[in-house]
Amino acid sequence: MSTLTNSTKPETTSQPEAVAAIARTRITEDWLAVWIGLFVFALSLGLLFGTDVLGWSITTSVWTSPAKALAPASKVYATLQPALSLTATYLFLLAILLVAAKFLGASLKRFALGFTVVFVLSYASWFLGSWAYIAATPDKRPGLKIPWSLSLTNESGFIIALILGLLIGNLLPGISRALKEAIRPELYIKTAIVILGGFLGIAALEQRQLATSVILRGICAIIEAYLIYWPIVYFVSRRYFGFSREWAAPLASGISICGVSAAIATGSAIRARPVVPIMVSSLVVVFAVIELMVLPFAAQHYLSGQPMVAAAWMGLAVKTDGAAVASGAITDSLIRAKAAASGVVFQPGWILGVCTTVKVFIDVFIGVWAFILAWIWSSKIEHRQGDQVRLVEIWQRFPKFILGYVATFLVVLAIGIASPALVPKIKAAMGQANVFRSIFFLMTFFAIGVMSNFRRLWQEGFAKLAVVYVLCLFGYIIWVALLISWLFFHGVFPPIVKG
Amino acid sequence: MSEPRMTEELERMKTEYEPLLPIERKLIWWTFGSGVVLLAILVLINRAFS
Repeated sequence: MSTLTNSTKPETTSQPEAVAAIARTRITEDWLAVWIGLFVFALSLGLLFGTDVLGWSITTSVWTSPAKALAPASKVYATLQPALSLTATYLFLLAILLVAAKFLGASLKRFALGFTVVFVLSYASWFLGSWAYIAATPDKRPGLKIPWSLSLTNESGFIIALILGLLIGNLLPGISRALKEAIRPELYIKTAIVILGGFLGIAALEQRQLATSVILRGICAIIEAYLIYWPIVYFVSRRYFGFSREWAAPLASGISICGVSAAIATGSAIRARPVVPIMVSSLVVVFAVIELMVLPFAAQHYLSGQPMVAAAWMGLAVKTDGAAVASGAITDSLIRAKAAASGVVFQPGWILGVCTTVKVFIDVFIGVWAFILAWIWSSKIEHRQGDQVRLVEIWQRFPKFILGYVATFLVVLAIGIASPALVPKIKAAMGQANVFRSIFFLMTFFAIGVMSNFRRLWQEGFAKLAVVYVLCLFGYIIWVALLISWLFFHGVFPPIVKG
Repeated sequence: MSEPRMTEELERMKTEYEPLLPIERKLIWWTFGSGVVLLAILVLINRAFS
């Protein structure tokens, strides 16, 4: 019985290096996300020392008159022209991301050009999404003097950015190629998640019991992704679709765990050729966009009475960090808008927080899972002389941005517990950091759209891979995710804003 | 790196079919079984403390 097919052998010497190169790039991007996120977080904490470092950054409120839409984040900078505030925000982000681009070995000129387009179109989407007729929830209509609105909240800007990205990625390949250097959804979303940690720290400070309960319930996600999803997807693709082990393992990880990162880590662990996780990843990205465009609306329709179930469902069912957290953000706004229509105002951020917590729990164990698979493959399936799996590989595959997320969460929690009098200031500081978190989110949506090449699905032969994906994702994963989310999160509600 | 066509990959999987090894079956069912058991335990713990 062949354990390693001959046809794969000629390429095996160069392929692990190529996979390692991908892994190295990702680790670098992970660390960069940590440093950028911590940098923004640290600057926002200037408020604790009486220095308003980020107050000049741009915010957009729900508007009926475009002239009144934009304003600086802090009243200290109230006299600053909105156009200057917007330019300063752009230049600040351009400067820190150019440093990141330098570390990533990108062409700085092309990155600067691409980032400018990404920023302008993403922020334009946010601006359009904040138009009162699109964004205003029913309770806000009288104040804005409008008779109707779509009640999508200003976070509909995310959906507009995604659609804009999809149009460019699929209809304007020339522009898509020109933007390539700045299309980095993983860098943007991981930076946003690091900043989000501080924002969730504030939520946890205010509702410690609820936060503890959410974290404990989030543990179930790990069991589900690794122990319940993975074996069934692997079995189905091997037994019923005849995929080789080299394809089935990254495919199972891509569909079950965390999309791109898991497919690459698994591919590397079982020594698959680099093309395998790359092709699986391209499929994961496309289907994550489909999930992102469908599931939050399904959640709003069917689960608005159980917001935390909807939140956990997004974290468990939507693949890739970017799309999962983005789905959490949309679900957060859609469910809060629907609840507001019936007079219940949920505190913002809790649905997003539960979704992110669940996703982060799943991410934490990618390294451990890759280690286990590497050990099984090298010792039991493809016996390779002198091939030793090292424990350090768990650390090497650990998604480092989670350290940033935990750090900002714990710093806020520690300051708040040690000095309760500082809580209002920390809240204001996190509000300013949140401006940048929203922009990173927006750019993630836009970038996901640009890199989702739907034409790939029509490529000859891709259909079989897509069928396994559709069958497992829509026939098994999203339903099991719903069941488990229901088991652990039903009856848990975000705090209600009084008054 | 030239990307092999998916059709070639699928053709190769047909001609070089790899049957499920006993170790793979063990991996699948032990993983799934322990997942179900752990999930049941967590549900019971969750019910007991909520």
